[in-house]
Amino acid sequence: MSENIDNGSEDFISTCKEINVEEIIDSIKKKIKEKKEAGVLKQKDIDEINDMELLPLPDFLEIPNVYEPHLYPKHKIEGFEPFNLDFELETGTAKKILGKIRKIFSPLTRFMIRPFLNDLKNLEVELHNQNKEEIHKLKQLIPIVFQSKEYIKLLHNFMNNMIVELSKLKIEEELLKTKIKVMEDKVEFMENRERAVEKKLFKE
Amino acid sequence: MKIHQFLTSYSYGDAIGNEAFEIRNYLRENGIESEIFSLFYHPKYSNQIINYLEYDKFSNEDNIIIFHFSIGSPVTKKFLRMPDKKVIIYHNITPYIFFLDYHRVLAKDCYKGRVELKNFVNKIDLALGDSKYNEGELKEMGFTNTGILPLVMDFEKFDRKADPVLIELFNDGKNNLLYVGRIIPNKKIEDIIKIFSFYQKYFDGNSRLFIVGEYRGFERYLSSLYSLKSKLEVKNVHFIGHVPENELISYFKLSNLYLHMSEHEGFCAPIPESYYLNIPVVAFNAGAVKETMNKGGVLVNKRDFVKIAALLEHIIRDSHLRKKILKSQQESLKKYFKNKTGKILLDYVRNLT
Repeated sequence: MSENIDNGSEDFISTCKEINVEEIIDSIKKKIKEKKEAGVLKQKDIDEINDMELLPLPDFLEIPNVYEPHLYPKHKIEGFEPFNLDFELETGTAKKILGKIRKIFSPLTRFMIRPFLNDLKNLEVELHNQNKEEIHKLKQLIPIVFQSKEYIKLLHNFMNNMIVELSKLKIEEELLKTKIKVMEDKVEFMENRERAVEKKLFKE
Repeated sequence: MKIHQFLTSYSYGDAIGNEAFEIRNYLRENGIESEIFSLFYHPKYSNQIINYLEYDKFSNEDNIIIFHFSIGSPVTKKFLRMPDKKVIIYHNITPYIFFLDYHRVLAKDCYKGRVELKNFVNKIDLALGDSKYNEGELKEMGFTNTGILPLVMDFEKFDRKADPVLIELFNDGKNNLLYVGRIIPNKKIEDIIKIFSFYQKYFDGNSRLFIVGEYRGFERYLSSLYSLKSKLEVKNVHFIGHVPENELISYFKLSNLYLHMSEHEGFCAPIPESYYLNIPVVAFNAGAVKETMNKGGVLVNKRDFVKIAALLEHIIRDSHLRKKILKSQQESLKKYFKNKTGKILLDYVRNLT
């Protein structure tokens, strides 16, 4: 048995000792050169075919949910605090400080505003009632806002599921097309086979 | 002494399954009791293959169990829990990256397979690779007691008569190129089609390409291959699918050349099969291909499609060169005869006992 020629990784082919590799390579190069010179084989065509890549059908599991990560993040986004709708006009520490200031200055201010005190008191009560009504109205709206938010989220999920299902259908359609092609080939093959059998039988 | 074998899956025509059958037959011929246990198998073989979960009834410390390892599966756990002497035959695992675009489940199983393989280190008595390439991977992973067992193949089945109708059908003077194997991404069928398109357009218009092999589970890959075929406007490319043995023999006998462009191979059984049926082989040098070619045929080191197409034409036209290639292949084939590989297996096994 002959030894293999190991001409290094630069060689296009390797085979047994009895076969002249260089002769084969020269012959191949000559053939290609002739075709190129005759204008039959163009470098552009070669490159085009070489660069052609398979385009695999997409995998429906890879279809991303476009809404989820942006609109409904599962993790807290840094620097973002959800807006609290359960607020009061004066709360906590601010209320205490205001109370203290009021205590210090109230005798003086009462004296100064004595002529308008009743009017001011009336105005304060009126404003307070107005705010109360507004807050009450807002609080009544909160469940509706939440409901709408959930509804929109549901719609987004529905849209995403629709995209996934349509993609699945498209992929399925492409696969069915391939299966039809395979079936067509098989039917054609069977027809040819049938003809060949008939020919053989008829001969006999 | 009893020697039993474990498989993850046995499918008809599969090289690993065929090897398991050949080993079982060889062992039985030599008076050794032997059964095959598998997780998945075709119902057709339910009288020949036993479910792997039933092995407990057969288990014995004096037994030797051989696991044909090629993918991650629950069989690994069962195998490792058994008290019997353990041998694995590593057929290599296709890198998961090839399957990412086409078969996520298989990609996951292949990834798991490589992880599982590490679990065998120091837990088995012998690790065999069906090529030096596979043995090298075993050594890299830390296996110490390793060896090489070339795929046990039965070439006698190729002595059967070919399907006369197929011969009648395709024996029409066209030059036929052949690829045999599963239609999966690592086999680079797209490269074979590209080469054939150059071959047909610029060197031999009177030609045909047979792509014979199973594509079930890889319909998305097949679909892209069909698109490529129509994009290239190449004619006479036949995706034959899975065929019974007598039809496979016909395709081999009808072909003028066997072309293999796979990017990852742990062994590549169709190469010795082509040698046996006297078909010149042109194969790309990847994985264990060079070793399997065993200095026969023509090994291509670069993916230059036009040059490969011109090379095919040169081999098909030049009868003198063709004869030389076939002669080299006949010499190389001697390594793969059943009695030789069967004896190697028995020697390994006897050393264990």
